[in-house]
Amino acid sequence: MYQRYAIRRILDGILVYAVIVLALSALFNSVADRTVRALIDEEVRQSMSKMKGVRPEDFQLAFQSRVRERERAYWLDRPVGERIARRTVATLTFDFGKSTIVKSSAGSREVAAIIGEALPRTLLLFTTEAILVVTLGVALGLRMARRPGGPLDRATSLATMIVYGMPSWWVGMILIMLFVYIVPVFPSGGLHTLPPLTGFARLLDVAWHMVLPLATLVLIGFWGTALVVRNIVLGVLQEDFVMAARARGIPERKVLRGHTLRTAAPPVATMAILMLVGSLGGNLVFEGIFSWPGLGNLYWIALQQMDVPLVLGLLSVTTGLYVFALVLLDLAYGFLDPRIKTGGAA
Amino acid sequence: MSVNPATTRLGDFWTEFRRSPSGVVGLVLLVLFAAVAVLGPALSPYPEAGTSWRSIEYWQDEPANAPPAWTNLFAREKGAVSARLAAADSAAEEGEGYRVERASFAYDFSYDRPPLDLILHFRVDEPAPVSVAIERPDGRRVELVNSTVEPVSGEARISLDKEAGAAVLDFVRGIEPPEALERLDGSSLEPTAILFAEAEPGLTTAPRALKGKYRITLETIVVDGAEPASEPVPPRLAVVGRVSGLLGTDAQKRDLFSGAVAGVRYALLIGFLTALVSVAVGVVYGALSAYAGGLVDAAMQRFFEIMSSMPLLPFMIVLSAIFKPSIVTMIVLMVLFFWTGSVKTVRSMALQIKEETYIEAAKALGAGGPRILFRHIVPILVPYSFASMALAVPGAIVYEATVSLLGLGDASIVTWGQILHDALSGGAVLNGVWWWVVPPGLLIALMGMTFAFLGFAMDKILHPKLRTR
Repeated sequence: MYQRYAIRRILDGILVYAVIVLALSALFNSVADRTVRALIDEEVRQSMSKMKGVRPEDFQLAFQSRVRERERAYWLDRPVGERIARRTVATLTFDFGKSTIVKSSAGSREVAAIIGEALPRTLLLFTTEAILVVTLGVALGLRMARRPGGPLDRATSLATMIVYGMPSWWVGMILIMLFVYIVPVFPSGGLHTLPPLTGFARLLDVAWHMVLPLATLVLIGFWGTALVVRNIVLGVLQEDFVMAARARGIPERKVLRGHTLRTAAPPVATMAILMLVGSLGGNLVFEGIFSWPGLGNLYWIALQQMDVPLVLGLLSVTTGLYVFALVLLDLAYGFLDPRIKTGGAA
Repeated sequence: MSVNPATTRLGDFWTEFRRSPSGVVGLVLLVLFAAVAVLGPALSPYPEAGTSWRSIEYWQDEPANAPPAWTNLFAREKGAVSARLAAADSAAEEGEGYRVERASFAYDFSYDRPPLDLILHFRVDEPAPVSVAIERPDGRRVELVNSTVEPVSGEARISLDKEAGAAVLDFVRGIEPPEALERLDGSSLEPTAILFAEAEPGLTTAPRALKGKYRITLETIVVDGAEPASEPVPPRLAVVGRVSGLLGTDAQKRDLFSGAVAGVRYALLIGFLTALVSVAVGVVYGALSAYAGGLVDAAMQRFFEIMSSMPLLPFMIVLSAIFKPSIVTMIVLMVLFFWTGSVKTVRSMALQIKEETYIEAAKALGAGGPRILFRHIVPILVPYSFASMALAVPGAIVYEATVSLLGLGDASIVTWGQILHDALSGGAVLNGVWWWVVPPGLLIALMGMTFAFLGFAMDKILHPKLRTR
């Protein structure tokens, strides 16, 4: 039963992803074509620059035939529909092609290599953030749920509302101004000092560089998380089994930790994963502010250079990760809560 | 007598809403913001800030990167405040075939640091001889400019910082001892620093401010017969201060307070419109999907799933980078992604409503699908949608700001995000120009908070279960 549900959900996810990639390919078709043509032109010119003593008309002929040859390799001689379809298939098989301008630090122009380099750094920052925010959020949320309407509950709700519309990148800018230029305690950005240190010192160095961005994200993020945890826990506390547990004389702390938190775990986990996934692509500007060399920063660079293949690759990867995480979430949920996989409406 | 159920429900809602202090604070803030948006230009010293934000000429009489005027309160040395003065008195003297027009300005200088520049604006139609002189509180009179000005579209502009250098150097020669003059580099002399300093040896190296009333006189010679091409505009004097306005100026000499005020309008417009349209679309979509059921529901849910599987910000930014949107297309783009936010909840609510007996009754009475949907299902979802609308507003404002921060905003308007973009690329963070960075972000946050207060207050009334155990 679970297997069938899992397979259906996975196929579902793949289908959704394919549709999005198809839409992306169609949307960017003309822009991508133009970039490829420019790329071919440059390539052919470069390869023919050493040809000397050739009559101009012969040169022109050879140039055109080579361009045509390369265009065929990129399917530029095929109809639009086919080009879109082929591009979709290429993206789905993780063949993103070459970037036009941006290079990886190893000098590669393969989009996959450039993204592969940036992704772990983003994961490092935002996974740490998610862990911190969820830990703090659950701790605070539980306390709030114990006394709804109490001073802690109200203070946290107020804080949530105050930071609700605060752009994290702006808070980052303020913190940089405060702690980098006015009171210089932290580095202004980047992943590590240059040249990079080795061994344990490197680890410390990276941690030191992570303090400011993490502080910003946690400062903005964990209030809301606490409020959501509080609401989930409060919902569970109204269930009959909690009343039964209390009636049996089980200590309140155990009721909260053992009974309530266990039941509240799936939605809390959902929230945590969603948050992590959301920040993968969502905090794109944030990384730029802190010069954190992750995916977000790469987006910024790619857009400034108008590196279309890289932008497309980035979009596909972020979307892929997002869809993948949503599927994973449903799978985990179905595993934890058997009622879901029967697929009953709402 | 019948009571309209809608009004009583609204009345109940208001009674409950009033009991939430944060909700009331949110409402007050919203009214304030709305007032600023409506009054807009009337509040700011530069009424055309919204439309002339990128005009260099419009801001040319302001200092660059000047702190707010109130920082004088905390500064040991007070800097001159930017001001625009009208002529204290003006007179015309008829001569043989010509006329001398005289205007004088009174400037009360009571600061420690002199203004950066004094700029005179006046109306002339043809190249005309002009002289400018200043009378100092110590009785000295300095002839500053004596030349012919070339008007640009009927108006002449004289910057004393640029034009009075030679005259000021002459003035210095009469005061400083010869050995100091030898060391003096005439080109690095700041005319205003000399003019507003005590006339004593050392005024070029360590000037002491000479406080008191200054009088600047402008004389123009106009040839008779030349009829004024347009109506006479009174001459004015712009004092380019060390500090300026309520929020200072940026590196492009723009008054940041005027920009912040102009931004209120656009933030409200973007937030309201995006939230309104996307929640409306989401509610109708969710209700329709639930009501239709079956294959239609499945197809609509599949489409919804695809739309909500796209990471919003990357898509927004890439689309904006490629299609260079105006404010309207940007709102459309946001709606395109925002409407999914409320669909899930609305659909599950509508699925419950659908099974209510009064819907069955309506069906039995022969009501058609659209009628049931829009008369019996959607109205019940409206209160819920108000809360989601309020909570969607900050998101829209932040997204616009984020896209603008990358320099992809609509260049024909001014938003807080664009001010922050200029601040970031102008190195405001690195140079500690806090008055350029803090206020716009604070306003974004404040407006977000306003709608969060409203939204959460409404949400609490609609979901009373969350209030207590």
